[in-house]
Amino acid sequence: MTADLELHERIERFREWLHEWLHGLYHGMIEHPAFEKIEKEAEDTEDALLFAMFADAFGIPSPVSYYTSELLPYLAEDFEKWERRMWDRESMIERKGQQYHF
Amino acid sequence: MDKFVFFGGKGGVGKTTVSSAFGLKCARAGLRTLIVSTDPAHSTSDVFDQQFDDDPRSVDGIDNLWAMEIDPDDEVQAHLQSVKEEMGEQVSPAIVNEINRQIELAHRTPGAYEAALFDRFIEVMRDADDWDRVVFDTSPTGGTLRLLALPDFLEDWIDRLIDKRETSIDLFEKAAVGEKSARKRAENDPIIARLRERKEKFEFAGRVLKDDAAFFLILNPDELSIRETERAIGQLRDYGLDVDGIVVNKVTPSPDEDETGRGADFLRQRIATEQDRIEEINGSFEQPIMGVIETRVEEVKGSLLDDVAADLDIEVAPEAAA
Repeated sequence: MTADLELHERIERFREWLHEWLHGLYHGMIEHPAFEKIEKEAEDTEDALLFAMFADAFGIPSPVSYYTSELLPYLAEDFEKWERRMWDRESMIERKGQQYHF
Repeated sequence: MDKFVFFGGKGGVGKTTVSSAFGLKCARAGLRTLIVSTDPAHSTSDVFDQQFDDDPRSVDGIDNLWAMEIDPDDEVQAHLQSVKEEMGEQVSPAIVNEINRQIELAHRTPGAYEAALFDRFIEVMRDADDWDRVVFDTSPTGGTLRLLALPDFLEDWIDRLIDKRETSIDLFEKAAVGEKSARKRAENDPIIARLRERKEKFEFAGRVLKDDAAFFLILNPDELSIRETERAIGQLRDYGLDVDGIVVNKVTPSPDEDETGRGADFLRQRIATEQDRIEEINGSFEQPIMGVIETRVEEVKGSLLDDVAADLDIEVAPEAAA
């Protein structure tokens, strides 16, 4: 069947195939890890922010938790996830190492 | 004299007496005056023999005088309630419990009491157009000082929070290249908006406390009280607030010349000691003594309050600029 195809069609197919593969390769090796890294960085910053706001959730007395409690209704889901993440986090290496997908 | 006048001092030195007397003095001078008490023991009610609550009420029989009593516990509870209501509107019931725990926790920290009080102070200062003078009878030294230091400290801290929040949102936006949509957006972020609102409140309070407020400390003529007051003045200075004067309260009255016997001897010796202390205060404090008030036989109330007010040498008239 393939033999029935004209040469230029086969080249066309090959180029499509190659394009898909290269894009996949680019996405998997460069694009996705890069976005993932930025997103992880954003999450880390957010974690630090939540920690600054709700340190008392981990037993560190905070003079401002009275004020930050006003923000909780808007942060509820983030807060809940953050608390779980902080309790579960094993180490910074484990967290930073995630990007290599072992 | 500035519009807002704060009286502070260790517990039991007679803050309520002196601030009530000063309030009375202002009212008698024709200034519309509000006394704000934060004492949970509600001693202002005792002084005027009248029940007050957290709305300004006119004092019976005295023109131009109003009083209100703020109960910090009630304020904390009210705040707790409002946060919970807000949450009912925003949060799915599935995680309400988890968040509730944190909210309850936040309202049980030691700072909650002061934060609630401070919020209320700011409210009073913001809605003070009706008054020519507002006299704050503050709770004992430690708490008050922390209260007055809050604006600077909190502004700084909120700046850092806003900064962090902006960074993280910026990163979330950068991670969302192309067709992906960002998980978070900077415009209309409720967190940044709320933090900014808070910051404005504190800036306002900081400005008023520095530019339009006077501070007086009350002490008794004894060693402990003097040391405590020295510390308080130092701390206030660290926060950039100057104490304008000192009032010496509960000074022993002297017996008549011809009196003899144990009682009179005791009084004379006691007076000699107190005189030394007052001299010490005169020498070691930069702040002037604005009044020396003698101990009364009974609780100061009614007409006695006018007597005490007469002993106070604090300027009443508002500043020309104000």
